[in-house]
Amino acid sequence: MSGTRPKIPVVPCSGIGKSLGAAAREAAFVLAEDLRPDKTKIVALSLLVLGDEEARREVAGHEAVAIDGCKLECAAKGLACSGASKIHKVAVFDVVRRHRGLKPEGVCDLNEDGLRLARATADEAAKIVDNVDAEGGHA
Amino acid sequence: MPDLPRKKIGLIACSGEELAEGTVTRRAVRKVLETLRPDDTVTLCLPLFLAGGEGERAFARHYPTIAVDGCDKRCAALATEKYSAKPAASIVVNETADAAECHDIGTARHLNEAGMQFADSVARLIAEETDRLLKKPRRKTSGLAADFGGCSCSSGLPSGTVRILGRATRIAGLPLILAQFRDQERGPDQKTAAALLEAAKIYNEVPDSQQQAWKEALFLEYAQFLKEKD
Repeated sequence: MSGTRPKIPVVPCSGIGKSLGAAAREAAFVLAEDLRPDKTKIVALSLLVLGDEEARREVAGHEAVAIDGCKLECAAKGLACSGASKIHKVAVFDVVRRHRGLKPEGVCDLNEDGLRLARATADEAAKIVDNVDAEGGHA
Repeated sequence: MPDLPRKKIGLIACSGEELAEGTVTRRAVRKVLETLRPDDTVTLCLPLFLAGGEGERAFARHYPTIAVDGCDKRCAALATEKYSAKPAASIVVNETADAAECHDIGTARHLNEAGMQFADSVARLIAEETDRLLKKPRRKTSGLAADFGGCSCSSGLPSGTVRILGRATRIAGLPLILAQFRDQERGPDQKTAAALLEAAKIYNEVPDSQQQAWKEALFLEYAQFLKEKD
């Protein structure tokens, strides 16, 4: 990919009450640091909630990936309010249904299943990133 | 406005994913919730302020909150004020880190040992603020692990469900409002019905067209509540 292309913004849920929210956050780190570091960049949801101009500029008019832990979809809503041109939703609560054996626990320290769920979620998000990148939709 | 019991402090962490200090806020808040002050605190989910979490907004309007931010952008404090009410206390982690000359704390994904210890010290700070706001004597903050604290993802404010215009309607604050009116020995009359509606409107959006229906439903609910308590 061209070095001049902006990275695709990835916004995880900041869920502090549930393991699935924590898995969403961890999945964003796996995606942006391990799987697609050259193509993605994490944008803090708290900045979008506040309406921080710099954070909004990174999102407005771009395709973005929201990784949400629960059906309230805070990350997707934060991106919508910040003017993302298209929001690709990755829902941990759907991913966990596809991996029924996993029993994620913990918030600050996810257990092994929680980390596996985060990895599975990040894998799904990476496919989306590759598609967006191939289409050049984020540029 | 009802004088609702101020039993809990709402903790709002920025959780900022771009900075290690954001992870410190998260870990510190969870430690207070799970271990240090489980009976006195709930967490409020910051993104829910934007995503329409009326329970979060209502809680922060009527209960004291402590905002815990990673950096001087102060997303948690300012967003809480923007969507609900000014926090009763505000802690900015990177200022605390500077004061403690604690700079290498790891990354947002992985705090190092110094970062873990720093999160513990921020947790103690939050616990002390909690005690101060609740006017409780200072307690040791190295306490034993306690019962898991409650999260207010589905609202820190208790709610009740009442049928209004044929629909089950969730009313934030209902149990507290009913209890307070009973404690004030208010009878089930039209004046009380109007006051119930006004109290409910503090925590809930009541469309103009539905005010009469809400008033009637609240009146019936209160009458039933008194009957059950007799």
